[in-house]
Amino acid sequence: MYVLAILGRRLGQIVATVVLVALLIFGLMRLLPGDPALMLLGDRATDASIAQMHHDLGLDRSVAVQFWEFLVHTVTLQLGDSITMRVPVISLVRDGLPITLLLTGMAAFLALLIAVPLAFVSALRPGSWMDAAIRTVAQISLSMPVFYIGLVLLIVLAAGLHWFPVGGIGNGFFQDLYYLFLPALTLALSLSAVLLRNLRQSLLEVLNAEYVNFATAKGLPRRMILTRHVLRNAWVSTVTLLGLNIGSLVGGAVITETVFAIPGLGRLTIDSIFARDYPVVQGLTMVLAIMVSVVFLLVDTVQVLLDPRMSK
Amino acid sequence: MIRLAAALLLSTSLAFPALAQTRGGTLVFGRAIESQFLDPVHTSQNADIWLSLNLYDTLLLASADGKGVEPGLASAYKVSDDGKTITFTMRAGLKFSDGSPIELSDVKWSLDRARTKASGGDFAFLLGSIESVDTAGADQVILHMAHPDPVILQALATFNSGIMPEKLVMAAPGATLDDKSKAFADHPVGSGPFMLTSWKRNTEMVMSKNPYYWKDGKDGKKLPYLDAIRFVIIPDDATRILKLRAGELDVAEFVPYSRVAELKADPKLDMELYPAAQTNYFAFNARPTLKDGTKNPLSDVRVRQALNYATDKDALIQVVTYGTGTAARSYMPMSTPLSYGPQPLYPYDIAKAKALLKDAGYANGMDITCMVLAGSQDDAAKLATLQQLWSQVGVRLKIEQLENATRLSRYNAGDFQMRTSLWTNDINDPNEITSIFAYYATRQNNRSGWDDKRIDELFDQSQAELDPAKRAAEYKEIQERYAEAAPIIFAFEVPYPVALSKKVHDFVQIPLGNNIFVNTYLDK
Repeated sequence: MYVLAILGRRLGQIVATVVLVALLIFGLMRLLPGDPALMLLGDRATDASIAQMHHDLGLDRSVAVQFWEFLVHTVTLQLGDSITMRVPVISLVRDGLPITLLLTGMAAFLALLIAVPLAFVSALRPGSWMDAAIRTVAQISLSMPVFYIGLVLLIVLAAGLHWFPVGGIGNGFFQDLYYLFLPALTLALSLSAVLLRNLRQSLLEVLNAEYVNFATAKGLPRRMILTRHVLRNAWVSTVTLLGLNIGSLVGGAVITETVFAIPGLGRLTIDSIFARDYPVVQGLTMVLAIMVSVVFLLVDTVQVLLDPRMSK
Repeated sequence: MIRLAAALLLSTSLAFPALAQTRGGTLVFGRAIESQFLDPVHTSQNADIWLSLNLYDTLLLASADGKGVEPGLASAYKVSDDGKTITFTMRAGLKFSDGSPIELSDVKWSLDRARTKASGGDFAFLLGSIESVDTAGADQVILHMAHPDPVILQALATFNSGIMPEKLVMAAPGATLDDKSKAFADHPVGSGPFMLTSWKRNTEMVMSKNPYYWKDGKDGKKLPYLDAIRFVIIPDDATRILKLRAGELDVAEFVPYSRVAELKADPKLDMELYPAAQTNYFAFNARPTLKDGTKNPLSDVRVRQALNYATDKDALIQVVTYGTGTAARSYMPMSTPLSYGPQPLYPYDIAKAKALLKDAGYANGMDITCMVLAGSQDDAAKLATLQQLWSQVGVRLKIEQLENATRLSRYNAGDFQMRTSLWTNDINDPNEITSIFAYYATRQNNRSGWDDKRIDELFDQSQAELDPAKRAAEYKEIQERYAEAAPIIFAFEVPYPVALSKKVHDFVQIPLGNNIFVNTYLDK
């Protein structure tokens, strides 16, 4: 019941967020200097061709008229056509969204796969050489830029050892998993370092908590204590952190998608901002806003399930 | 004697494999930039223009040296003595890539659409001298000219004159011709050697052999040799090269100049530098005052000349292009017909530069601000070099980093003092670049605000000048006057750097940038 009430409240918040993002992005794109017509015409632009292009694109109408049209389109879920590619924005989203979802999903999964066991090893023997080694490697991967990690992985594992293809995307789901492994790993490395540090800290706190001592004193098996008491309690803040980082994961995907030549939404967003392709930027920002909001919603739900006190 | 015969035998056996064109196979081509729109009339991006001729054939084709034309869809043409009628004889049995015949009405419709301002897009001006298009008999297309046009034959070999199927475009969904062309361009049917078979935006585009293409190969069968070309979009330079080296690509375009030497040394690759009708320059704002109201020293021709003398072109070429460029001799690239430049302009001469600046009242130097593209390594290298060179004549060069859209907008509004620039010709004639660089009415001479009435007059004359010698003389004078006035820094020309696997043969990127695959074949 509590969960349902929270879900309802959160859905309302998501709608409000998306509308706010839509208004903000419309305003911001118009405030940015630059002109889509000039971007299309480039260095060959003449005064006559610019005027003609403004007319063709409907940019010679007042901002108020354009804004009204944008509002109507937003409410009726029409994202319009791309200015540069001349195709419906919705078809671009349909092509790119599954790839970006898969990439960020895989990255989050890999990050957990790396962070959780290592955090346990670290936390169970704090101060040991293993702990020091893990923390040092985490610090290094955290401080390396994403594009650099990506290029190193490409050069060593793809071009050098031929274990993976050098960027691109596959044909079909399972090939995509194979093609996206390296880029997902690139994204996962720095995220896993963040998660690892946090989880290690929480584990240390929980391990020293009285109820854990009590459970040990009660004679509960060590494994049960670790999974049922320690991990479950230490989890909460890590799940929150993972959720908060999904946004930056999408940000990181922009760079990863460029280095690995992946046709996802991240690269498309950046290209469209540079080209001042208003409809695409507006459409993509809204899709990304919805995506991140939904992740936050999931995080909240999981938190409530992990710790029922959260619903109060 | 025996030795000679053996040598002959050896040389013929060595030469033989090079002559045998193998058929079949798919060429994988790594592109830096994605195509956006595949309608020959409504393209304005190089990424679109450079592939257009593979999909849409033209009446005439540019000759291999780029200076003349040869027959294309038309097997012959005749220009009347007064230059006002041009008659084309079409080849028999021409077909579009869907197997339907190319009718005379398709030719008329395509040219009419391309030359009309409302439907013809940015390049309609190239065909502006055509008054009407007629057809006669079974195979004649007749152009009636409003006035004789020395460039019309080259224009008919340019991408926007590509022949399209009228019925299919008009049958495409959409209320207006523009909407129809949008829908058609997603699944185009054309007259070129290849046809689009699949297109996943931002990922890849596949062009397959057009089975109905008219031209014969060296083996007597129809061209092209390749079954298909797969264009893969890889925006990152380093990744594109890695992919080529891993054997996942056959060709990688836009190799950074910094890596040309390294790829030249790779025994598995051919590192080609195709001559380009492309020129690098720095554009000046020559108005007396800048947008913010400050006085602009660049309005003084002596200052502009001084800065040209103070620029060591060889240093720029070395730093920016790693020695692959050549110093500019005119505002137009040297491969442009009628280009004139007996030697590189403004040889490096600090003493002359100082004297000119002193003469102009700037003995104590000045501040100049240059807009550059943020994140561009080339621009960073150019400006670092210029800063150092110009500091020797007291010029303090400030750098303003802007992303492209902001930079273009400010440039267009005349709100700049200097900027980095690159120009590529789209037609084998000096008229396009001249109309942009030196003919004030087009756009204030490249937004410089500088003006030369005599050049405007010469350009107007040249546009209707049928006597090649007179036209060459007009262009010589235009280029001399322009060089003297120096509204730009004449910097350097660069080739197109393309790296290919050794198994790829007879691919060419022509000076205008078009990628030509019709004769390309792959070793098995």
